[in-house]
Amino acid sequence: MFALLVMSCVGAQASHATLFDSMGGEPVLRAAVDRFADIVVADDRINFTFAEADMSKFKKLLYEQLCNLSGGPCRYTGRDMRTAHAKLGINAAEFNALAEDLYIALGKAGVPYRLQNKLMARLAPMKRDIVKPPGAPGAAFPAEPTTESQSPTPPSM
Amino acid sequence: MQMPSGWRTNHPLRRTLFIFSLAALVGVRAASASAPFENPAIPDEGKLPLTAGFTDIDGAGGAGLVPWAIITGYGTEDSYGANAHYTLVLLGDFRLRSYGIALGALDRVEASITQDQFSATGTALSGLTVEQRIYGLKVRLTGDAVYDQDSWAPQTAVGVEYKRNSGISDVPGVVDPRQLGAVSDTGSDFYLSATKVYLAQSLLLDVTLRYTNANEFGLVGFGGDLRRDRSVRFESSVAYLLSRTVAVGAEYRDKPHDLSVDDERGAWDAFVAWTASRHVSVVAAFVSAGSILSPVTHDTRDQNGAYLSLQVGF
Repeated sequence: MFALLVMSCVGAQASHATLFDSMGGEPVLRAAVDRFADIVVADDRINFTFAEADMSKFKKLLYEQLCNLSGGPCRYTGRDMRTAHAKLGINAAEFNALAEDLYIALGKAGVPYRLQNKLMARLAPMKRDIVKPPGAPGAAFPAEPTTESQSPTPPSM
Repeated sequence: MQMPSGWRTNHPLRRTLFIFSLAALVGVRAASASAPFENPAIPDEGKLPLTAGFTDIDGAGGAGLVPWAIITGYGTEDSYGANAHYTLVLLGDFRLRSYGIALGALDRVEASITQDQFSATGTALSGLTVEQRIYGLKVRLTGDAVYDQDSWAPQTAVGVEYKRNSGISDVPGVVDPRQLGAVSDTGSDFYLSATKVYLAQSLLLDVTLRYTNANEFGLVGFGGDLRRDRSVRFESSVAYLLSRTVAVGAEYRDKPHDLSVDDERGAWDAFVAWTASRHVSVVAAFVSAGSILSPVTHDTRDQNGAYLSLQVGF
């Protein structure tokens, strides 16, 4: 059974395009990131965490990250998830709201639900690094500038 | 010994349920108008659509026939959620109506109360009515069914369902499941559930082991002439996630065969579950419950039919 699973995984990797390609590559993923940025800014559940964010930098880094995670030809130049979100105090509901918005954005960019799930499967474990431990101070209107504006400017691609 | 009319007995629970549903809808509307996720008293409704599950036949968070390790309601680990359900099962010769409320807290503990009314609509038993109340408690043990996508390990939970059969009415001479051979009119099921969303495959899998001596979910009492004590029974749900709000799936629930007057078999269903919003969910299924009391009814056909469940909450 296990051997069969391993074989089918190897087979799948050898014979199929990357998730990045299946989703439609750079144009689709950039469109999804643009949509996502618009949606989160309009989402009252979480938009305050983006109040002082540099959205163009945020979009660039998110694109790099999604591209990299989906097997595309990108390097993520931002900080690791734990460091980047340490001061934001993101809670589980906010993380999930973000995930929901990303689902919506991927859908609007034309990524089929089945592939949205494949991408989300690679993002989901990041909850452990992004969400604050229970009982830690909340995110309510952080005075700190958000992650992305603190990040060093990524090299141009 | 005279059994009071079922619906009259249940009026307090029905009224509570109705008021609760209204309060839930109004409360949630009010909550959503205020600042997000700041007041722990306000439910955060933080889970993704579908990931709060539905309400199973016994009132626990699950699908239709099988409980899941998922804690009911849309509250995350920081909050709480609750819902009310009404479920109608229309079989060839029988009808089950079930309604109740369930509360989930901190994505850790779930408590539920459900009232069943089971009636025979055909055969010589036509008119027979059985009432049962189920008190459920579930505790999540390990794992996260949704987020631990880098691990095969499921979310696990243990649960107990205390069931009190309040008797049979409208059949001359039969007032208690013990007259049909059941050992008791009360019983407790213990179960262990393992549930996992395999997101990359858009699949949800659940396996539940139940330690039970409930005859026909407890509707015909507990234990019997063939077996007195509980035995371990296998249950499973498989669901394919079609979209962020719709899942289709199938379930199987083995049941003990403890009574010689009931040729009891496992039940299965094929379902469509739709989360219209975080406040309203619907499950519709084709269900096959196996033959029920066939030595009494002389109807040995499988009891097949429709399962419809509405859940409102937050």
